[in-house]
Amino acid sequence: MDFAIEFQHVTKTFPGVVALDDVSFAVRRGEVHALVGENGAGKSTLLNILHGGYSEYAGTVKLNGTPVQFRNPHDAIHAGVSKVHQEISLVPNLTVAQNIFLGYEPRMGPLVDFHKMNRDAENILKRLRSPLRPDGLMVGVSAGEMQMISVAKALFHDAQVISLDEPTSSLSSAETDALMSIVRELKEHGITIFYVSHRLDEVFDLSDRVTILRDGKLVGSYETSEISRAELIRKMVGRDVSTFATRKQPRRVQPEVVLEVEDLSSPGLFEDIRFSLHKGEILGFAGLVGAKRTDVMRAVFGADPVVSGKVTVHGKVARITSPMDALERGIGLVPENRKTEGFVRYLTNEANISLTCLRRFQRLGFVDRSLRRSNADTYIQRLNVNPPRSDFPTENMSGGNQQKVVVAKWLSTQADILILDEPTKGIDVGAKAEMYALLEDLVAAGKSIILVSSELPELIGLCDRAVVMKEGRIVAEVSADEMSEELLLNYAMEGVAS
Amino acid sequence: MKVRLDTYRELGISIALVVMIGVFAFINPVYIRTNNLIDIVQQSTVNGMLAIGITFTIITGGIDLSVGSTFAVVIVSVGMLVTNGVPPLVGVAIGIIIGLTLGIVNGLLITKMKLQPFIATLGMMSVYRGVAYVMTGGWPVVRIPREFRDLTDGRVIGEIPVSVFSLIAFAIIAHVLLNRTRFGAYLYAIGGNEQATRLSGVNVDRTKVFAYGFCGIGAALAGMVLLGRLGSGEPTAGITYELLAIAAAAVGGTSLAGGKGTITGTLLGALLLSALRVGLIVAGMDSFWQFIATGLVIVVAAYFEVIQQRLRFQRNKKPVVTP
Ligand SMILES: Nc1ncnc2c1ncn2[C@@H]1O[C@H](COP(=O)(O)OP(=O)(O)OP(=O)(O)O)[C@@H](O)[C@H]1O
Ligand SMILES: [Mg+2]
Repeated sequence: MDFAIEFQHVTKTFPGVVALDDVSFAVRRGEVHALVGENGAGKSTLLNILHGGYSEYAGTVKLNGTPVQFRNPHDAIHAGVSKVHQEISLVPNLTVAQNIFLGYEPRMGPLVDFHKMNRDAENILKRLRSPLRPDGLMVGVSAGEMQMISVAKALFHDAQVISLDEPTSSLSSAETDALMSIVRELKEHGITIFYVSHRLDEVFDLSDRVTILRDGKLVGSYETSEISRAELIRKMVGRDVSTFATRKQPRRVQPEVVLEVEDLSSPGLFEDIRFSLHKGEILGFAGLVGAKRTDVMRAVFGADPVVSGKVTVHGKVARITSPMDALERGIGLVPENRKTEGFVRYLTNEANISLTCLRRFQRLGFVDRSLRRSNADTYIQRLNVNPPRSDFPTENMSGGNQQKVVVAKWLSTQADILILDEPTKGIDVGAKAEMYALLEDLVAAGKSIILVSSELPELIGLCDRAVVMKEGRIVAEVSADEMSEELLLNYAMEGVAS
Repeated sequence: MKVRLDTYRELGISIALVVMIGVFAFINPVYIRTNNLIDIVQQSTVNGMLAIGITFTIITGGIDLSVGSTFAVVIVSVGMLVTNGVPPLVGVAIGIIIGLTLGIVNGLLITKMKLQPFIATLGMMSVYRGVAYVMTGGWPVVRIPREFRDLTDGRVIGEIPVSVFSLIAFAIIAHVLLNRTRFGAYLYAIGGNEQATRLSGVNVDRTKVFAYGFCGIGAALAGMVLLGRLGSGEPTAGITYELLAIAAAAVGGTSLAGGKGTITGTLLGALLLSALRVGLIVAGMDSFWQFIATGLVIVVAAYFEVIQQRLRFQRNKKPVVTP
């Protein structure tokens, strides 16, 4: 058998955690090989080992039959092994093209050949059907667009093996489709694709074979065509989980309007935004990447300045100019980008979770640590954070678990209006189901939720109403009964129903 | 985990300190006489107070280069007050208020005017220094009354001066602020990820202003300690002290990128630097060597962190045996 990559008895430990435990399997040349598992199963760790992110581990990695041990990502890239990171790693003050070519700029003598660089970047971006301009700066580029650039970056390296660690977690469905066809095209060119995703549709759509990890151990490798979805999930999670987003409890929208936004504008970003949120409602926000949903939410939350508009909270006009104001009025925001906006590095889960509500744990001017800890433990348990430790540094948790910590941070404010910007980004099927149940519990308890999501099934399954945005404007409002993927997509892309 | 790492660091400096004391004692036994040891501690009080203050600003990811100048302003103004009959304790209170005010000015420049801490405090370093000169016309303030000097330089237990206890008290307050209060938690959070902290509804600006204010108080206390010890004050006092304070914090494990640092570490750092200086003198080395030695200590301490990372990795290399 012709293997591109072989892992033999790979073990990797971190202080207190066995991330990978004697994992052995192989990836055939030219196949799309999916890697699945719960949050914290060890997928990213395995990719890091393959790509020189961690040079210290036990076991052997073979590339084309020869053992390799890359000391850094650069070595790996040289050997034809490129990776798209789970966490976006781009330099904000460079242009799009400069980011794609970072470290590998085309040169003319000692000088960078910017002309060629921009031209090549444009070609790659075109292949990805991305509307980005190669010479544009990264300011205002959304998470989804950044992910695209990361993909472009890997493509540019002409690698024989490309790993994608949750490449679609922040892409809209149109962009996901574009990426899927790119992956197929790459496969046709004989490139081996190693694909990590929590979106099982993609796994079944794309992959030839799938490897399942659970708690750092190998469950097995299977032909994708020979395993059913339910079986895959059972092997991943260890129990049956419904992957469909549906409301299990009766809907509880009440007539009372808790949040009313009128004529909100910020030139260059969005205009004339108006919507209202009812008590007990889950209001969805649909749209393509670049629809500026995130910008609107940040403005409502006071994170960015607004130029004009009126926000009314619980019937009172609210001038919200900072997150502090928002918090005071009981509005919380789970931001889109957990690493830059969500959690603080070096801090433990406990400290991160309590950052929004330390005031509550204060006794006589001092922080009461046992109160703080028990709050953290409550949410760690409720959201099934793994490892379930409040003293663990959030930075060292797997991506999905970091996301849960950020959500926990906002749940513990007990805000009654919660804005969630892509809250299920990068979390596994089991955790998603838990998140959906949690949202339902919240509205059942009389809270109101704004759910920004690029996963249409999620919006359709959960929301009582959805607002569709396109290029900074609201183009439609759709009720739960009308909602369908086609309708939302048509609005999001064309601005009209069909 | 964070706690464990910091403890390693502090253990490392403690070991370095003990080894160094051993070496100097071996070269010249005078080094470990009680008086000399007290001298080492006493010599670290000024730098220790400055360093504790500056640690607060560094934890937020900032810096305060103006501490040496704030120090001088407090020295000359308190000096002038107490020589003109203001009661010593009132003088101390005013000194603290001056330090706090100058620190808050720095904080406001950084938060309200959005200046970078390095630039803002570089500017104020020059401004405050100028103020100190202008106040005395460049002359020193002399004949500080005994009652004021006793407040910092008096002996309480044996030969240990009051200033050592002041340092300990200040350190305890700083430690408690950092570890037990909301303010402290926010300082670390801001240094680790300011954006996320702001989005968490934390009043980032106010927290930072407090941090710089606290730093100013550290400079004020240090200034008054020196004023009491010398019995006179000069507007040139404290030039380059900010660098020594940063060195103590850095040796003690405070990350200049922000988000990390402890008071214990900073204190140990200040102690190490002062033990080194006194040691070199006792060993009869040319005072020029102090510069070289101090510099090397800073570099070696920084490298210590790197080695420690590597050691941790090597431990991970050992395979976990699965039957
Ligand atoms: N630097 C680190 N220090 C300590 N533990 C770590 C570190 N990096 C990862 N881990 C731990 O290793 C385990 C595997 O993490 P990994 O990131 O590989 O998971 P994953 O399968 O990619 O999860 P996700 O789907 O959430 O991205 C987790 O328990 C995580 O907490
Ligand atoms: Mg991962």
